[in-house]
Amino acid sequence: MQQLIFGLANGSIYALMALAIGMVSSTTGIVNFAHASVVMMGAMVSWWMMVIYGLSYIPALFVAIAVSIVLNIVMYETCVKKLGDLQDNVGWIITLFGASIILDNIARMLFGTEPQAFPYLFGGKMVTFFGANIMLHELMMITIAVVIGVVYQTIIKKTRFGRAVRAVAFRPATSELMGIKSEKIILSCFAMAGAVAAIGGALIAPITFASYTMTYSIGLKGFAAAVLGGFGNTKGAFIGGFILGLIEAFISIFVPAGIKDSISFVIMIIVIIFLPEGIMSAKFFNRNLSAAEKV
Amino acid sequence: MLKVDSLTIAYGKTEVVHHVSFDVKKGSVVTIAGANGAGKSTILNTIVGLHRSKEGSILYKGEDITRTAPDRLVSKGIRLVPEGRQIFAEHTVEENMLLGAYVEKDAKKIRDRMDQMYDRFPRLKERRKQIGGTLSGGEQQMLAIARALMTGPDLLILDEPSLGLAPIIVKDVFKLLTEIKQTGVTILLVEQMVDNALSISDYAYVLETGNIVFSGTKDEVKNSDDIVKAYLGNV
Ligand SMILES: Nc1ncnc2c1ncn2[C@@H]1O[C@H](COP(=O)(O)OP(=O)(O)O)[C@@H](O)[C@H]1O
Ligand SMILES: [Mg+2]
Repeated sequence: MQQLIFGLANGSIYALMALAIGMVSSTTGIVNFAHASVVMMGAMVSWWMMVIYGLSYIPALFVAIAVSIVLNIVMYETCVKKLGDLQDNVGWIITLFGASIILDNIARMLFGTEPQAFPYLFGGKMVTFFGANIMLHELMMITIAVVIGVVYQTIIKKTRFGRAVRAVAFRPATSELMGIKSEKIILSCFAMAGAVAAIGGALIAPITFASYTMTYSIGLKGFAAAVLGGFGNTKGAFIGGFILGLIEAFISIFVPAGIKDSISFVIMIIVIIFLPEGIMSAKFFNRNLSAAEKV
Repeated sequence: MLKVDSLTIAYGKTEVVHHVSFDVKKGSVVTIAGANGAGKSTILNTIVGLHRSKEGSILYKGEDITRTAPDRLVSKGIRLVPEGRQIFAEHTVEENMLLGAYVEKDAKKIRDRMDQMYDRFPRLKERRKQIGGTLSGGEQQMLAIARALMTGPDLLILDEPSLGLAPIIVKDVFKLLTEIKQTGVTILLVEQMVDNALSISDYAYVLETGNIVFSGTKDEVKNSDDIVKAYLGNV
């Protein structure tokens, strides 16, 4: 039970990262390599607000969300939009990696190199859950991630904004003909991804400690989860995150911790080879769809 | 209604449309005939704001719209039915229609329009919960037109509406366009072969490699042997 919750809690962070990466890549076709750095920034800003300005967890998180949204918008304006047609060039690979290095170093200068303790939600209170001792914070991680995932899917499926996001993802030029400002939709997606980044950062920081390197390995696993789900498939990416967390948690019972981190990449490579479109493209998920529906 | 004056359009440094001028009078149907690659889509995309012209001007209802953004043009009453229909294949039929009404904020107006469209296109009503990609070519063309009509445009522009459709379906499409014309909508359309288009047109232009080489009424076109040979299959 403990392993299950632990796996799901870690998975919730991978899921949130993969979801945010998916939000951006579904509408722009790009992969935000700087996302992990924004997650880190979100955590660091939360920490700063709590330690330096004495805010409590939630208000600090709101400041971090605002900062991460701004960061992501600035990143879009400077690293992505200026490049013009993203189908024609891959300059964004360089600019976004660059942005990630810049963010990491800014964080190092501002906050120092020492990993900082970060408070748990509910002061680290433990609860007994099906006979196991579980930290309430971990249950909150899972709950918050699931709520965000469900809310996002509902927005995407049911609302006018969501219809427009899917339209821009599928045919940006035709969307313009409908009167949708593709650019505005893309900006909203970057902003939403920023908000999700800050939340993920503040949730994982108590476990990893807050530091400029806190998302180095988690970040890569977020990408692994995104690959698992299929880039641009936000639902798949989200589920991919949880699956990855679970697999890791259970495999770590049998293998030494050092090898644990490579597991996600072995899984990622296997998925890329056998299901290049992501796990959601597996037959199992598409039994009831006709070929045309998979366009 | 629409006055295009000396329009020059380029992709990068390559100029593909050269000083093209034409007029579309209110309530009329105007056809531009031209072979593949002549620059028809380029001109239409420029009118609706998807592409910037290099020189020249576009006037709509007397107003300069040369640099106006696509969403503003939709609100002003110009709609393009793009080449190849470009249905949102993963959206349902109803969602496609709602996307067509994206700039309309009044829910009741959207509902009324939708009902009108369903009256006119019972097939779309039957299939409103299906995703766009499952429709046949003809149904997709109907959906593309219905989607454009969702904002009640004054000027409907169609890029090769007969492309890839069986002759019998093409007849339906042009019958529909005649009906739309009768509701007072001005129509500009481009085609490679203009047999059907000409039968509903008041005026026609011929575009060759980015230049207008001929303009005239329906009868003037039919009396020009060269044009008949190049752009009419069987009249
Ligand atoms: N996106 C583009 N980039 C560069 N050249 C283009 C582009 N689209 C069209 N062209 C060129 O412009 C010319 C006119 O194309 P187009 O307007 O599509 O013609 P038509 O619609 O009459 O078939 C062609 O020579 C075509 O190769
Ligand atoms: Mg064309």
